[in-house]
Amino acid sequence: MSAGDWRDRGRSALERLVRASAFERVLISTAALVLSMFVGVLIILAAGRMTTCTTAATTFFGVGFCYDPFAIYDSLFLGALGDPINPLFKPLQGEFAAPFRRGWTPLNSQMAVTLRETTILIFTGLGVAIAFRAGIFNIGMQGQLVVGALATALTVLWTSSLVSGLVGTLVLIPFGLAVGALAGGLFGAIPGALKAYADANEVITTIMLNFVATSVALFLVANPFKDPESPANETVGLPDFATIPSVLYEPRDNFSIIALGIALALVGASYYLLEHTSFGYDIRTSGIQPEAAEYGGVDAARTIVSSMTLSGAIGGVGGAMYVLMILGNYQTGVPSYGFDGITVSILAGNNPLGVGFAALLFGVLKSGSIIVDVSTDVPPQLVGVLRGLIILFVAMPEFFRMIGAKFVIESDEGQAVATDGGVVEDNGGGSDE
Amino acid sequence: MEPAVHLDGITKRFPGVVANDDVDLLVERGSVHALLGENGAGKTTLMNVLYGLYEPTEGDVYVDGDGLADGDDSPHRYAQPPKRFDSPADAIDAGVGMIHQHFMLVDPMSVTENITLGNEPRKWGGLAVDSARSRDEVVDLCDRYGFDVDPDAAIEDVSVGVQQRVEILKALYRGADILILDEPTAVLTPQEVEDLFAVFEELTAQGKTIIFISHKLGEAMHAADDITVLRDGKNVGTVAADDVTREQLAEMMVGREVLETVDKPPVERGESVLTVDHVSATDERGVEAVSDVSFTVHEGEVFGIAGVDGNGQSELIEAITGLRKPTAGSVAFQRDDITNWPRQRRIDEGMAYIPEDRHERGLVMDFDLTENGLLGSQHTPPFAESGRIEWDRARTHAQDIIDEYDVRPPNRDAKASSFSGGNQQKFIVGREFERDPSLVVATHPTRGVDIGSTEFIHDRLLDLRSNGKAVLLVSSKLEEVQGLSDRLAVMHDGEIMDVVDPETVTEEEIGLLMAGEQLPEDSAARSLTEAGDRSVAAGGESQ
Repeated sequence: MSAGDWRDRGRSALERLVRASAFERVLISTAALVLSMFVGVLIILAAGRMTTCTTAATTFFGVGFCYDPFAIYDSLFLGALGDPINPLFKPLQGEFAAPFRRGWTPLNSQMAVTLRETTILIFTGLGVAIAFRAGIFNIGMQGQLVVGALATALTVLWTSSLVSGLVGTLVLIPFGLAVGALAGGLFGAIPGALKAYADANEVITTIMLNFVATSVALFLVANPFKDPESPANETVGLPDFATIPSVLYEPRDNFSIIALGIALALVGASYYLLEHTSFGYDIRTSGIQPEAAEYGGVDAARTIVSSMTLSGAIGGVGGAMYVLMILGNYQTGVPSYGFDGITVSILAGNNPLGVGFAALLFGVLKSGSIIVDVSTDVPPQLVGVLRGLIILFVAMPEFFRMIGAKFVIESDEGQAVATDGGVVEDNGGGSDE
Repeated sequence: MEPAVHLDGITKRFPGVVANDDVDLLVERGSVHALLGENGAGKTTLMNVLYGLYEPTEGDVYVDGDGLADGDDSPHRYAQPPKRFDSPADAIDAGVGMIHQHFMLVDPMSVTENITLGNEPRKWGGLAVDSARSRDEVVDLCDRYGFDVDPDAAIEDVSVGVQQRVEILKALYRGADILILDEPTAVLTPQEVEDLFAVFEELTAQGKTIIFISHKLGEAMHAADDITVLRDGKNVGTVAADDVTREQLAEMMVGREVLETVDKPPVERGESVLTVDHVSATDERGVEAVSDVSFTVHEGEVFGIAGVDGNGQSELIEAITGLRKPTAGSVAFQRDDITNWPRQRRIDEGMAYIPEDRHERGLVMDFDLTENGLLGSQHTPPFAESGRIEWDRARTHAQDIIDEYDVRPPNRDAKASSFSGGNQQKFIVGREFERDPSLVVATHPTRGVDIGSTEFIHDRLLDLRSNGKAVLLVSSKLEEVQGLSDRLAVMHDGEIMDVVDPETVTEEEIGLLMAGEQLPEDSAARSLTEAGDRSVAAGGESQ
């Protein structure tokens, strides 16, 4: 094998990946998931040999291991769903006959944790994806989420004295979400405007604005808006009617199916926006080929500002949901939903429809990690490694697609593969005449 | 005959494409050999095989700069075994050098540094570059081959023609006996082209072998000893340049007879459509690229702008089409001053624009043709109604362009990137013409396009003119601007040197103007500078 051959092979493999159909991409992702678990099993076994324990958790070929990989993955995935079926690999107990645990319902509280995480991640993932499609790397999602959350918590708290009861819920929830969108949107518009009119790199400005957001929020919640009766840095709690009612699930699960519904509706809306509107066309064109967008009459500056505003607004709604559905007030120490949203978006190939699935995978992993922690002796660090492996494996093919798309297009132009050379075999259309 | 290169039955396949199909190429030592063919004929692929960038799927490469000797007892046909090049480095070792279309030079570094880069003579045990010796070596090299190049000049300060010579010197410095040049004349003025061909003669006189890629008949006949024509990846034939006519070559290239002359019906010139008034503009680096340019384009007129690439044409056109803000002056379109109009409004008001760079601007490479057909109309009814895109109409529109303008997609729903250059260009031309424009700004509309498509695009431009539309045509192909234009402006260094009658001006005179000089007093060419245009005679700098 010579270098030239390898290069050709690498190039055609990359091309194959770039041109993969949606179905093939799902297959690739599934295969990557399985592969990551294979590698994970090996790591768990190796870690299990290196640890000392009194009784082996599992035994293979007469060798005892401290951690049972199958039990871990069982807890990680099925545990996140509230353990719908019994562990797959316990042949000694002979329980294959009754796979579904008696009395299992999808309305269990662990499922609620999974879906709750999924919901928030859909918002942040969508926000990042839309900016990404416009060619903007919005790392400031976390800050936009925090600003949206804080603004919602404060305004809903102030206005909740004006209304009450069911009317209060019907008025305050949409109002709170709108405030979150507005605040997040304005906060997203800042780096957008800086990029559009002052040529400031959005990666730098959004990272810095994350610190601004969290620090200002900390100051406000620690000082003027602090709940005087709480030792923690948090605002006064919202009245119950001002939080999103949980339907089907227990109120203590902090999950509302309505919120998930709104998130899914936003997935559809984002897809429609990108694929079926003039604004979406502008966004997509700016994202993949800004020079062509400019040629096609797209106002680059306006598109940057408006897509960043939209991105921040969606993140702000996520923050509002976090307050209205999960916390019931604003507390410092917001989980890294915004940063996870970046990974969710990459995992989804920046496609809004994929964001739902990617967010679900994240939700499952987050919630499943809790179960692994509780039900096995495995240290949380190892669980983190397993989660990281899964995300890395599933995200890599998409990542290579994103890089490859650029590479393949470039090679098409220059001393190219398909266009430089003569005849396309299946029909004569590739040749010039 | 003693061949220096023998490509024996070369086939190169890429996934789904046969770029070269059983091509034989025999190049005599000490000769200039032209590789002629349309775009996509497989010329560059074949040379990349010879240069070690690609490994052939089938076939053998025999190379020897001193000539291939026949071998009687050898299992091969020559005394030398076939070469296996894994990389250009192997090819260079075997004495094959390639000068690419885009120069691979480091702009701020000197000529000497560029020539010796990577092979510098060392001193202090290899720790430092021996710059004195490298300079001497470069001077020797220049003397030996009669090159007039300043070894100390920085690349960014010398002309494109000199840069090309530096590339050739670079290959010679590395011991190349066989030089491959990919479209060497594309970037040169007519005078520089002549100089290049003189260099060819000097090199072949000293035993070097030259292969150059071209799709221009004239220069192949003029400069080469032998011409090999490729079509659709196959060798159509090798002929001696002296024994063949232009018509025969053209027929070999396209497989049918080609009419090269443009038939231009007389058209009544109407109202002014575009008036450029004392416009100046700067390039990306902020350096003035267009200086005080004025001209007017009328209905039923093709106004041509000739000039070597990079003399301000791109910046001028961008200032007119709204992609660049002029630093001074104004642009009027129909009855409006459009100097500050956004690009979208210019499109909406009927200014069509075939951009110079179809990969960067004209098409979104990752979009299919339906999406690309929408570019520029994405906010305009009937394709968009209240912010919503009517994809059905867009699809029909794209299909109409494909049918009408003979665009041949490799498959349905193919992305723009998978189209050949000619088909991409035809699609852009179709999209812009279908806007029903009152002005078409066409920059290099046939660059990289084969003869058949070129003819087609020329006909369409003249149709527009016959229908009373205005056409502003920029091209670095002289025969194109000269053949199509009613009036021809020549640009040099950001200024319009003169506006002349393309019928009466000679190619040499255009060459003079392109090089920044004035027409001689006794020139028969009629100057067509209008009252509204800038008076060249009064304000010319070179006087």
